[in-house]
Amino acid sequence: MLAVRLWLQRRADDVAVGLLTAMFLAFVLQITARYVFNYPLTWTLELCLTTWLWTVFWGAAFCLKNDEHVRFDMLYCAVNANWRRWFAGVGALAVVVGLVMSVPGSWSFVSFLSIKKSATLRIPLVYIFSIYMVFVVATVLAYGFRLRQALRHEIDQLHVEHPSS
Amino acid sequence: MTIAFSLCLLTLFLLAAIGVPIAHATIVSALVYLGLAGQDLGIAAEQIIYGIYDSFVLLAVPLFIVAANIMNAGTISERLLDFCVALVGRFKGGLGHVNVVSSLIFSGMSGSAVADAAGIGKVIIEMMVKSGHYSRGYAAAITAASATIGPIIPPSIPMVLYALVSDASIGYLFLGGILPGLLMGLVLMVMNTVISHRRGFSVDAVIPLRRIPSLTVRAFPALLMPLILLYGIYGGATTPTEAAAVAAAYALFISAVLYRAVSLKNLRDIMLASAKSSASVGLVIGGALILNYIVASENIPTQLAELLKGMQITPMMFMLGVNFLLLALGCVLDATTIILVIVPLFMATCKTLGIDLVYFGVVVVVNCMIGLITPPYGILLFVINGVTGITLAEMIKEIWPFLVALLLALALLVTFPDIILWLPHQFGYSG
Repeated sequence: MLAVRLWLQRRADDVAVGLLTAMFLAFVLQITARYVFNYPLTWTLELCLTTWLWTVFWGAAFCLKNDEHVRFDMLYCAVNANWRRWFAGVGALAVVVGLVMSVPGSWSFVSFLSIKKSATLRIPLVYIFSIYMVFVVATVLAYGFRLRQALRHEIDQLHVEHPSS
Repeated sequence: MTIAFSLCLLTLFLLAAIGVPIAHATIVSALVYLGLAGQDLGIAAEQIIYGIYDSFVLLAVPLFIVAANIMNAGTISERLLDFCVALVGRFKGGLGHVNVVSSLIFSGMSGSAVADAAGIGKVIIEMMVKSGHYSRGYAAAITAASATIGPIIPPSIPMVLYALVSDASIGYLFLGGILPGLLMGLVLMVMNTVISHRRGFSVDAVIPLRRIPSLTVRAFPALLMPLILLYGIYGGATTPTEAAAVAAAYALFISAVLYRAVSLKNLRDIMLASAKSSASVGLVIGGALILNYIVASENIPTQLAELLKGMQITPMMFMLGVNFLLLALGCVLDATTIILVIVPLFMATCKTLGIDLVYFGVVVVVNCMIGLITPPYGILLFVINGVTGITLAEMIKEIWPFLVALLLALALLVTFPDIILWLPHQFGYSG
């Protein structure tokens, strides 16, 4: 079971690596084409924006662990294990309820876009934007699991590190 | 303020306080608002998706993250440090000066304070502790303080985020950060000199002057990077986003081809770490964009501007008020959150009071970077603790003089806007 999970995690990470690498290469290609060969490309920019959108939601859905998100955890770390369990449980419940309730509205926005296509690659926007729905479902499942952990007294100590500032 | 908006804020603070990731907390609180205000919940999806998908400017964020991670993985940091040791290591408190100067150079290549602290910062801390002249706490404290310069001297991820919420020009913001960054370096070096003399630190091992040329050649490709970036942006050749890609590509070229310090396996790890950082920042940006949509539709910034105008607040009083507020928030909140969620509230007031948006932006970013080292919640302190094992208590004991020095620099910037605006004006900024 653990081996399967690790394998799946590695494949999910591979996808994130692929997305970001594709974005980086497309951007470099765009610059080279424009400045070196004086032949501006348009599809590269769309590829960059699409892979960036996918990197964010794919990464948030499948690669980031709870403690790798930007969090304010001063209070969480200061309280005892029992309170922490409550914090984790209430937080997880709020996210699950909120996101589940947003599914119909979000899906109607995303699916409405099946008639629209992207500017240069002519991909239906519904495919590009559906990653948001993937993110919503994966997040609901992850927090559902966290809620179960909280109810079963399985929540552990966490630490924060934030890479952007 | 409507009931829906009050409950939205209450949800946000409550969820964030109990440790729900900021991004998830903002999305859920936005959904609370939309639900109570009788609006379509799909608006949240629309705002977050289009906010990320439609912004060319934002692409700079993942690219700068990739560039910083590549530079930290190669031997760029070591070469730069050898060069800095030869340059300023001969003075009293030498490695402290090396620390600041290397941060100044590194900040011209990376747009992230955390990358600075975790990369070159980690190496210089080890050097300082090994020399036996500095305590662990002192080495860590000056590293944390000098890492705050990272996003002040261009490139800068926080300035990209500020540009996103303010519509100020990234090019001029970047230019506006150069002199303030140098000023911060200067005050830190002065503080290091004062402390070195007072505590009688021994002089570190001196590198003979004749070795400087060879060490400069060794570090030259890395030293060229800030110049390439500045020339690209201000020579009018590239946009800041393109400069970010050039930085990443150049870092990859010198690390992998020239220095042969990055393998394919390393590269996968670098891209994975970058993808995770990008996803975590991107999601916070997305959440903040929905919140900004709500704040704007509630007309909060305009109401705040009218309120302050009615109170006959002068621009200087406003700047002081904002700075105190942001410093207080910086003690408990992270810089990305402050810039994306709190700062937009003040944009309308800035325009009403005639405060220059580039000046305001640089001041805000400097303030937020100081917030990265203010206890109890200082990301840079956590990162250094994470990579070196030096305890927070050791660092916090030594951080105060540097904090005072940086606050002094901030006060100078607020009082004399020309320190920020002089350079942009030379390049045609008319604000």
